[in-house]
Amino acid sequence: MMRFVPALLSVVVSLGAAVAYLSLLRVPAIRNHPALYLAGFALGAAIAAAAVWRSARWPNLAALAFSVALLVLGGYFNFVFARLPAASTVLKVGEAAPDFTLPDATGAAVTLASFRDQRPVVLVFYRGYW
Amino acid sequence: MQILAISPDPNERSQGLAEKLRARYRFLADRDLAVTRRYGFVHPRGGPSGQDVPIPTTVVIDRRGIVRWLRVADNYQVRPDPADVARAARGL
Repeated sequence: MMRFVPALLSVVVSLGAAVAYLSLLRVPAIRNHPALYLAGFALGAAIAAAAVWRSARWPNLAALAFSVALLVLGGYFNFVFARLPAASTVLKVGEAAPDFTLPDATGAAVTLASFRDQRPVVLVFYRGYW
Repeated sequence: MQILAISPDPNERSQGLAEKLRARYRFLADRDLAVTRRYGFVHPRGGPSGQDVPIPTTVVIDRRGIVRWLRVADNYQVRPDPADVARAARGL
């Protein structure tokens, strides 16, 4: 049984990286470094690859297949799927922000210019739920 | 500072989110993305069913209405650190 400890460790490291990243999404230092979970998957794959190199038994092969699959999926998600196109360069630092009026959650109209000379404004454009 | 969170979500949804976060945000509904488009932050056909969606972006505007700080996401997993936004807005 002991000889499959590396295979088990590989699975634990790979799964642990995914669970840890998802559960720490609220921590900016974690969330903004998605490469961290890829590093975990790579470490899991390396442990499994070493185990397979020593003994090509099915638990080791299964651990390698699992961690490599996570690495490939995670890499695709991070480098391809989650990529966004460059915004058109309408807005530049140092230029006036275009004024607008939009309804708030109570239906009241909010105009950007109404905050002029009152206080700074932070606009957060977010994708919403669709 | 005043935080205005803008998305195409209907108001009821945004209100629910505000209550869930207990945030002092004001959530503004840009249903047809007209304002988001005017600001240049639209990801064409970026949604799951091919619809246009906003590119997550944070803009800090001073009291004179001038843009002082801007972060446009190039990966939707990544958002500005609130501490960086607060630092950018401090003293404006």
